[in-house]
Amino acid sequence: MGASESVTRGRELIVEKPMTAALVFIGVVLLLDMLRQLLTGELAISGMLGLIKDGLMRGLVIGLAGIGLSMTYSILNFANFAHGDYITAGAFSGWSVTYLIAGGFGAEANIGSLALVGAGGSVFGGALGVNIVNTPLAVLAGLIVAGSLTIGLALFIDRFMFKPIRDAGGIPLLITSIGVAFALRYLILFVFDSSTRGTTDAGTVPDIRPLVLDGTVPLTLHDGFLVVVAGGLMLGVHFLLQRTKLGKAMRAMSDDESLARITGIPTERVIRSTWIIGGGLTGIAGYMFVLWKGTLSWNDGWLLLLLIFAAVILGGIGSVYGAILGGLVIGLTASTAVIWIPSGFARAAAFVVMILVLVARPQGLFSGRSTA
Amino acid sequence: MTDESTPSDATPDAASSGFEPDGGATTSAATDVTLYEDSILSVRDLDAGYGDLQILTDVDMDVNDEEYVTIVGPNGAGKSTVMKSVFGLTSHMGGTVQFETNDITTMRPEDIIHLGLGYVPQNDNVFGTLTVRENLEMGAYILEDVPQDSLNEVFERFPILEERQTQKAGTLSGGQQQMLAMGRALMLDPELLLLDEPSAGLAPDLVAEMFDKIDEINDAGTAILMVEQNAKEALRRCDRGYVLVDGKNRYEDEGTTLLNDPQVRQDFLGG
Repeated sequence: MGASESVTRGRELIVEKPMTAALVFIGVVLLLDMLRQLLTGELAISGMLGLIKDGLMRGLVIGLAGIGLSMTYSILNFANFAHGDYITAGAFSGWSVTYLIAGGFGAEANIGSLALVGAGGSVFGGALGVNIVNTPLAVLAGLIVAGSLTIGLALFIDRFMFKPIRDAGGIPLLITSIGVAFALRYLILFVFDSSTRGTTDAGTVPDIRPLVLDGTVPLTLHDGFLVVVAGGLMLGVHFLLQRTKLGKAMRAMSDDESLARITGIPTERVIRSTWIIGGGLTGIAGYMFVLWKGTLSWNDGWLLLLLIFAAVILGGIGSVYGAILGGLVIGLTASTAVIWIPSGFARAAAFVVMILVLVARPQGLFSGRSTA
Repeated sequence: MTDESTPSDATPDAASSGFEPDGGATTSAATDVTLYEDSILSVRDLDAGYGDLQILTDVDMDVNDEEYVTIVGPNGAGKSTVMKSVFGLTSHMGGTVQFETNDITTMRPEDIIHLGLGYVPQNDNVFGTLTVRENLEMGAYILEDVPQDSLNEVFERFPILEERQTQKAGTLSGGQQQMLAMGRALMLDPELLLLDEPSAGLAPDLVAEMFDKIDEINDAGTAILMVEQNAKEALRRCDRGYVLVDGKNRYEDEGTTLLNDPQVRQDFLGG
């Protein structure tokens, strides 16, 4: 292809798809600016890799939690705004158990303080030495409880809140879910108080610091544990959807619910399984998020929910694979945005990217609809 | 042809004691043709519709074991509504529907399918995002395992489905989707298959093929109740036909008799 031909094609792109052309232009400018920063030493290569790692980790959490949101959207046809507070509920319940076990059920601190995850600064995770190496049992038990309790919570709320209005359509369900979100969030606030607590003994988490050209990129065991847990669960969901009878029925139902019913698929049972799988993943995502970042607060899930929605919409709402990919893109954007803009705007950058991608590809990265 | 042991774990097997379909007892309001000595489906005085809107009034209909029955009539006559009502997809307003020994009048589709009754809706009748094979597997969802014999039979009957089994159903042509929908319903080896306009939207050369396939399915022992827009061809091939007008029975007779009836020809078959 000759130079003149590329120019012509470039001109065609500008004329036919001005928005896409503008996006490409902005992308090129940002890339050049990043190169400039790297060359002038304003930005260290190791620093950039650190940001990318951070973004991928965040992306895994967002993706894992996004699977549940996307699943319930595709099968129940409503956006569940309480999803963020399922994350928080999972995190608090799991960490309560982790504190209790790590604190020897009252041996090392007041049992009530342990159960309330050190409300009011009464116990600190650091003092209990909580991490995957020192207290593996406490962490695993917390992980399991976070998953199971969130399953129970999701089933309970579905049974008493969503099921009675299942046939009323997406909007009443959505509004109900906003109410559920508030109720849950303030219940958690009431019980556990509003303090942000440090949950892990971050200093003693084993890490490796590989040297990359101009500095080190720390990789901790908690990073590794998150990759293993999130990656494993995502593979599990893929296997479930593609290979198992239940997974195929879930895809069938998200494709066409009335046809599924005619075919003899027990739709209520599939809905229950969807809450079980989605709820479990969400609770585990909440627990892992806290283990990874080392702090826990009553509105963690709510704040994360906005990014999860961005990820799910970006990936093509209703698609599980889209949620995973969208999660990684949003996570990466939110953390690498600080290369160009002040960190206070990093979250906004994630939404800007979402909007820009949707301008170029309105159906999302994976064109919606299928749970597949 | 299935025996009585078709999936019946969830079958509310009521009234299994006394019911013996007997021709003399059936009363058809529309005509005096009494050919129901072996009736497996009997619809009596059925009133049904959607929401508050009543479409069917006092509809009577029978299908005998292994029989091939068609419903024809003008647009809006309620032909498809009869099918949907039998399968529990409309609002029931009166009358009864009996399938073999079960009263299925107010049963839900997911329960009816356990009894050996299959339904192929007219439009959007495949799961487009699932593969051809997965669609067929879904047809046998209520069974513990995918019945390999039924799957092989379906593949034998519709070789194109075997060829395309790993392809997404949404990428199939209209005719192939229709075959897939039928194949999916046949996975449970039903006693009676309800077909809603199987030739709708097919190219003319495929219509004949589709009717041949239906003949084959019927010859293998499955009773058919079919709604068809393509009335002449349907009546030529079926055993018995019903003409439905304004949600009521108008005529009922052997297919060829209806086809040759001057009144029916003029009113409903375009002369």
